[in-house]
Amino acid sequence: MRLSSLRWLVLTLSFLVLTYGGLIGIYLGDFLPTFSCWYVGDARGGDCFLWHVQHHFSGHGGPGYIVRPSDPVLLYFFLLILVLGKAWCGWVCPFGFVMDVLDLIRRKLSVGYVFFSQKLRKRLAPIKWVLLFISLVVPLCCFPFFMRSQIATDLGQPYCQWCPAKYVAPLFVGDVDEIAINFRSGMGIFMTTVGLAIAGLFVIGSLTKRRFWCSFCPMGLVIGLCRKISFIKLKKDCQACTRCGICYNVCPLDIEEIYTERKRTNVTFQDCTLCMKCIENCPEDNALRATFCGMTVYRATQKGFFSDRDALGPKPPVETEDNQTDEASADDREPVVSGGQLP
Amino acid sequence: MPPQEETSGELQRRKARFLRGMNRSTQRLLADIEADERRPAATDRFLETMRRAFSAGDEADASALFRGKKVIGTYCIMAPEEFIYAAGAVPVRLCGGSHEAALAGDELVPRDICPVVRASAGFTSFGLLPIYERCDAVVVPTTCDGKRKLGEALSEFIPVWMLEVPHIKEAERSRMEWLDQIYALKRRIEKLTRKKIKRKNLREAIARIGRAQYQARRLHELRAAAPPVVLGRHAMLALNAYAFDTVDEWTEAMTRFNDELDQRRDDGVAACADGSPRILLAGSPVAFPNWKLPTLIEEMGGIVVMDETCMGDRFLYDPVGVTEGSMTEMIRGIAARLIMPCTCPSFSPNEDRMFRLKQLAEKFRIDGVIYHVLKGCMIYDFEVARVERMMKEAGIPLLRVETDYNPEDVEQLRTRIEAFVEMTGTKKNEVKRDPGEVLCGN
Repeated sequence: MRLSSLRWLVLTLSFLVLTYGGLIGIYLGDFLPTFSCWYVGDARGGDCFLWHVQHHFSGHGGPGYIVRPSDPVLLYFFLLILVLGKAWCGWVCPFGFVMDVLDLIRRKLSVGYVFFSQKLRKRLAPIKWVLLFISLVVPLCCFPFFMRSQIATDLGQPYCQWCPAKYVAPLFVGDVDEIAINFRSGMGIFMTTVGLAIAGLFVIGSLTKRRFWCSFCPMGLVIGLCRKISFIKLKKDCQACTRCGICYNVCPLDIEEIYTERKRTNVTFQDCTLCMKCIENCPEDNALRATFCGMTVYRATQKGFFSDRDALGPKPPVETEDNQTDEASADDREPVVSGGQLP
Repeated sequence: MPPQEETSGELQRRKARFLRGMNRSTQRLLADIEADERRPAATDRFLETMRRAFSAGDEADASALFRGKKVIGTYCIMAPEEFIYAAGAVPVRLCGGSHEAALAGDELVPRDICPVVRASAGFTSFGLLPIYERCDAVVVPTTCDGKRKLGEALSEFIPVWMLEVPHIKEAERSRMEWLDQIYALKRRIEKLTRKKIKRKNLREAIARIGRAQYQARRLHELRAAAPPVVLGRHAMLALNAYAFDTVDEWTEAMTRFNDELDQRRDDGVAACADGSPRILLAGSPVAFPNWKLPTLIEEMGGIVVMDETCMGDRFLYDPVGVTEGSMTEMIRGIAARLIMPCTCPSFSPNEDRMFRLKQLAEKFRIDGVIYHVLKGCMIYDFEVARVERMMKEAGIPLLRVETDYNPEDVEQLRTRIEAFVEMTGTKKNEVKRDPGEVLCGN
């Protein structure tokens, strides 16, 4: 099986488990480093850790709640990050699945994708930091000052109010209630209006740009910060690399460094989702590989590249002849020799 | 004096003289290769391709190849053949290698420019070969100074489409500009062929060239074998033949060629003695029929296991890597494959070439590098010092050979190459003996 098919399989299963698992009693916990959205309701098979962080920070148990010895969710969260690293984003995140499905729709329509220039990427990079700041600091501010006030309740999960998953994910269990502006308070109106706008942007963005939200995701940022110690890494043999830039072209996050790098072996960059498309599409033997605890689990091969493109044999396609007959303009073309044989 | 100012009678006489000379030297070279019993039997098709391309005046032969399609000439490896095939036309790579054509070109371009440019100018201005005459337009990428001005000189005779190649390929801005150039060229091709390039056709063209590239890479791998299964000049002939053949026919011939070499490797058949010094031929392109250098090296007992030139190994090395097949993605992929991995010294900085050479030296267990500098080819000459330094660090000797297509200096070169090959051979065998001697000493 091709790696991209395997990834689709894993991603689909994970989407099903995390979105509908609750219906058959699956609940994996409230410390998952993915956007397994709390707003999906009882059908969800696990919870996004960011929701719980904000929930506790803003007063429900306090900041100490996530490190209490009886249930140290922060520790579990980091252990999960340690094992899978950014592969959570590329292989498990149900919201990533939604983006990939939207992307698939675009591909089926044969529409090209929007491409973020490096300049734009750099300019957009601080957004995820701002979102992380909002999701950690704003709830902490609510905790001592506005506890139990309406404003604190509406600001309780400030990031969640802006996260497109809150509005999009519940749709998969037929819940459209979230697609509404909260008129309880001025703050509620503001937060949900911005949130709905972002959700709209998300849908349009994902239909035109590969893995649109991943560049802004604060959860991805946290996982990315641990990329040096995570078990799964993306490695590059800079000597074998010809800098053809295919890895860059296939990268859903438009990471340029993957091909420009000429020194470092570890090329798991901050934005990388470890989807491993770069490895799958690399035409040089061993130039790129994925390692788990230092062991190579998947590597680029020349043969793999060409066999994926059905290029191993000399198969002059039938269409070639169609080309000539279809398009020949009458004036300057000789009749086509049947079978295309040379005299 | 430019050709058009002469009387047509004198012009015809001179043309006939150039043609006679070219025919003689090309036919002799082809006969020599054909008579070589070490050549794989599948070389036949490539010899035939060359014979057909260089059979002056025989219009019928060239037409058979093109089958009434539009023909677009290309120079350098930055011309996107995918578009040409997708539009139902045929590309021919025109970078010339004939001494007589270079003499003919002297009247159109400066004598100090490299012979590739002079020969290309001569072929076109004198109409020496039907393959040049048949072109409906030529794509001239602005790589080096010679090619840039060549475009202008050729426009007197044929529609020329300049393709501006950025020289700092790392900069994102240059890549964007390059993409614009590629789009513009696509429109020109569509206009000429009066056919819109559709997604399906482009995908198919990428796949067809991809198959050719896979075979070229198979040859690349096979040439790494020890003992060598194929002589360098035969492998180079196979790769050069792509210039004058259509992709599907070439791929088929190349598959047979590779299958034969595969068989040789399995049977342990060697094309030369195992102890022959393994030479990397780097630098300026070796275009058929300028077979001077590879022939000399191999006559003197070396073997060209790899040729790092744009008419040889680099010609078909870099594939288009696309995953979804939308028009945008395919064009981006084509634009990228043409310049990003390209190690042409017209790019600056060109650190990629140093990486590539180092990698080739290791992979092909190179004993010596012969660095080919065509007279007037500044940019390859510029890099020789850096390459030499790098090779020195790896303990690999390098010989810089400056020459052109003129056969006059053959004997002089023979002496130098003989000395170099002998020296690398001695060094190689010393290194081989070393461990044994240490054991005896104990």
